[in-house]
Amino acid sequence: METGVVVVEKVGGRSTVSRCFSKYPLKFIIPRKVGPSKTDAVWIYSLTYGGGIVSGDCISCDFTIGDGCTTVLTTQASTKVYKSLGSKCSEQVLEARIGSDALLVVIPDPVTCFSTAKYSQKQIFRVVSDSSLVIVDWITSGRHESGEKWEFDLYKSINNIFLEGDRPLFLDTVLLERGSVATIAERMQDYQVIAMIILLGPKLTHLQNQVQEDVKRMMSEQLHPPSTALGRYKRKNPDHCLTKPSFIASCSVFGPKGIGLVVRIAAVTTGSVYKFLQHELASMEPLLGVSPYC
Amino acid sequence: MEDGMEICKSSDRTASTNFCLQWSQWQLLDSILPTGGFAHSFGLEAAIQARIVSGPEDLRAYVILVLENTGSLLLPFVCSATMSPNLENWHKLDRMLDATLTNEVARKASIAQGSALMRLAAAVFAEVPSLKTMRDTSLGSGAVSFHHAPIFGLICGLLGMDSGSSQRAYMFITMRDVISAATRLNLIGPLGAAVLQHQIALVAEDMSKKWMASYGRGSMPNGSFA
Repeated sequence: METGVVVVEKVGGRSTVSRCFSKYPLKFIIPRKVGPSKTDAVWIYSLTYGGGIVSGDCISCDFTIGDGCTTVLTTQASTKVYKSLGSKCSEQVLEARIGSDALLVVIPDPVTCFSTAKYSQKQIFRVVSDSSLVIVDWITSGRHESGEKWEFDLYKSINNIFLEGDRPLFLDTVLLERGSVATIAERMQDYQVIAMIILLGPKLTHLQNQVQEDVKRMMSEQLHPPSTALGRYKRKNPDHCLTKPSFIASCSVFGPKGIGLVVRIAAVTTGSVYKFLQHELASMEPLLGVSPYC
Repeated sequence: MEDGMEICKSSDRTASTNFCLQWSQWQLLDSILPTGGFAHSFGLEAAIQARIVSGPEDLRAYVILVLENTGSLLLPFVCSATMSPNLENWHKLDRMLDATLTNEVARKASIAQGSALMRLAAAVFAEVPSLKTMRDTSLGSGAVSFHHAPIFGLICGLLGMDSGSSQRAYMFITMRDVISAATRLNLIGPLGAAVLQHQIALVAEDMSKKWMASYGRGSMPNGSFA
């Protein structure tokens, strides 16, 4: 049983919410006007009562983005997953169908799991060959500023994209589980944020190229500092070579003819990931009316 | 007396089949088999570059993480292919794995190793003619990418190995290949590598058991059912 249903269709030539339903603990806010009136995009803010997900909550949403429509799905703040009571796991499920020449942009704030929290999220996207899709899916270690780092029990995030029916295009699961071999914190070393960005489809070809070039440049600076800079640094700080980079990103293309790009990030601060997202997605402003994460 | 002879003969036959299977198993797992296992380091080079691995202690932790990922991501494919070693299941697993290996470097390495292993197996294990038939049917059809894990499971299944052994064997070759990459990268000496491999075997056994139990009822890690 869904807790939320949204259908976006072209009405009078504009992307319009033709059906919207939500029930406790979920609520949608759909502002009439987000950007300049000439841009054709629907912005949907998904909120939960109390600003977070409590133990045992099950949120399940169904989105249909009609042919030619543009929709942005976002949040107003990070999704907090509170301490779990007993063995109860909190769940969020999203299923979205994206029509021909349509664009869905899923750009939430990160998920933050408090100590002992159990959280499982599943997002299924059904696309056709000329649908476009942006997914940002990210998690922080907890309230790390106050020392709560990777202390939750379970975090599972599934993102599956199917092309034209049931053809698997992208199947991904991130599973962080308190285990016997090593704690999550040990495995994460000093990194506090894990992020994944997916850019898929014809409307994002340009953005894919830009992100790939930027990541390549950033990482070659991080991993092979220019020899002169290194020389200077070495004199001041001989340990420089032993410190891990504070921001690691990697890019991979996927799908037939490389129609998709996935970027994975591990970072020490949440701020550095926000900055990256703002900078990289800024060129979507003409499509969405306003720039993401601003 | 005659009955006794019969039983004796048939148990001889079973024993000899088992011995033949052992020779094939050893060959399949032998590092001399030219499947291109040396072609990539399972991310070890990148981890060294990012200063995540800088000595033998880090290496031990890294190998364990690689095995944990192999257990959760690839063992279900090995398991399913071993249990149903037929063309249809192999093609389905191959398409699913192609969408699952979202890291391009890992995806290409898996295809390179899988193609090499299938070519070898079709030529070497002539007593299983279906390996060659399946390869010939699939080559050039564009229907499969020849990913490594399902092909490994398929070969094990057709050779008559049970699924527990094939999954342990997959963990074994993965560990062997990461550790061998580490010796080539000068992180550890050959003796130290052998000691490490033997120590991690215990951890690998626990992990194999854990993952085998978790999808024992046919559930794949990405939430779908195989």
